[in-house]
Amino acid sequence: MGLETPDDAAVFRLSEDLALVQTLDFFTPIVDDPFTFGQIAAANALSDIYAMGGRPITALNILCWPCELGSEAAVEILRGGAEKVREAGAAVVGGHTVEDKEPKFGMAVTGLVRPGEELTAAGARPGDLLVLTKPLGTGILATALKGDFLTAAEVEEAVEGMRLLNAGAARAARKVGARACTDVTGFGLLGHLLNMLGEEGLGCLVEASSVPFYPRTLEMAAMGMVPAGAHNNRLFYGGDVKAEGVDELLLCALFDPQTSGGLLLAVPPQEEEEALEVLKRENPAGAWVIGSFRERGDAKVVVLP
Amino acid sequence: MSETVDARGLACPQPVVLTRQALQNASGPFMVLVDNPTARDNVARFARSQGCAVEVFDEDFGFRLEVTPGTCVCEPEEPAGAGSHLFVLSADFMGKVDNQLGRLLIKAFLNTLAERDQLPTHLVLFNSGVLLACGEAETVSALQRLQEKGVAILVCGTCLDFFGLKEQLRAGSVSNMYEIVETMASAGKCITI
Repeated sequence: MGLETPDDAAVFRLSEDLALVQTLDFFTPIVDDPFTFGQIAAANALSDIYAMGGRPITALNILCWPCELGSEAAVEILRGGAEKVREAGAAVVGGHTVEDKEPKFGMAVTGLVRPGEELTAAGARPGDLLVLTKPLGTGILATALKGDFLTAAEVEEAVEGMRLLNAGAARAARKVGARACTDVTGFGLLGHLLNMLGEEGLGCLVEASSVPFYPRTLEMAAMGMVPAGAHNNRLFYGGDVKAEGVDELLLCALFDPQTSGGLLLAVPPQEEEEALEVLKRENPAGAWVIGSFRERGDAKVVVLP
Repeated sequence: MSETVDARGLACPQPVVLTRQALQNASGPFMVLVDNPTARDNVARFARSQGCAVEVFDEDFGFRLEVTPGTCVCEPEEPAGAGSHLFVLSADFMGKVDNQLGRLLIKAFLNTLAERDQLPTHLVLFNSGVLLACGEAETVSALQRLQEKGVAILVCGTCLDFFGLKEQLRAGSVSNMYEIVETMASAGKCITI
């Protein structure tokens, strides 16, 4: 894959009909329960393989751990991670642990894809529908959880979403002939969307009112629970986004960095009905048409209220 | 100025957490010092959502916020597109009598609500109202749509336990009386069905 539009994982061709897909991701705990954190970190790491249209085969654990926390929680994290890798039909084949002041966990994942069948961030055409396969808000909700503004029970739906593999969504994406695909993670919805547009005169219209959020997300944004990442994303990408009349908090939330977010797909317009039906069947989180690609106007991305 | 909260060098949500503590103990205006724009915006949003007046000043180190509790009677900031109101559903039917009509009405009510642009901030479900969000109830899909649109649905946990339905909750989140009371008390308008 080229570097003109940033992709989710590296693809290395081994032979005429086989290529490796490789990716790595790890981060600090975003929920208190170690097993759940392991599941989320694994689903997040595996997501890049799915976003490239690949099939994960092996995973290596990366664990940073303060010894004073004892081994019990570390084992739970690894167990949660391994469970998700198993669910993905892959195997944990090793890993490495280093001592650190703050716990961190993630994985380096290897997958396979047939050359020519990769799903890439580039490839959308004017008229294609922009489809999202998980609600947004994990950055804001994790901040609220950290600040004790919400309890673990109150963010359950977001936790369910974060530990859900993007396997079903990717399967559906292929079935309905998605022309481009990426996953929504650290750069937020609008950041990752901009990465799908490249420099070729492609633009996109986003209907903010159609974008799904996990419960309590906008309420928590109004309570001052917007993470620094959302602000940085907006600083970095905001110049390419026109959002006249869009509520300030809503715009913040559209830049909210996501952990294990959904896929963002470009779906041919004639496939709308089938795409939504297949996506909703294959992906328990659901699917939402949140806008459409078009020839670029005065801004790369235009957000409507 | 009763005290100064020095939140410089701290990452979110810490500046807001410290501001919340200061606000709980404050007898008058106080200052919050922060060193980055995210913290500035978050502390200002939080303080305003709690009815405080906030003034922001640029400083060499970042920003100084003057927070004056309780002087502003403005409504807390609402999520985008939402009016400041909530609905309380205390039964799984609409009206005073539990009959077929009442069940038809509540279904129509939720479907209509889900189509509106002006959405409530919350739905509060208690007593037999929790049945609306459970199992095979015909109202589950309307509640899920509302939730997708950002409406927070608070479902009374005690009531779910009473009906033995905690495992079958399909929309909204399990809530407690403390949260329900807080939410109802801070709503602009509270409408009981």
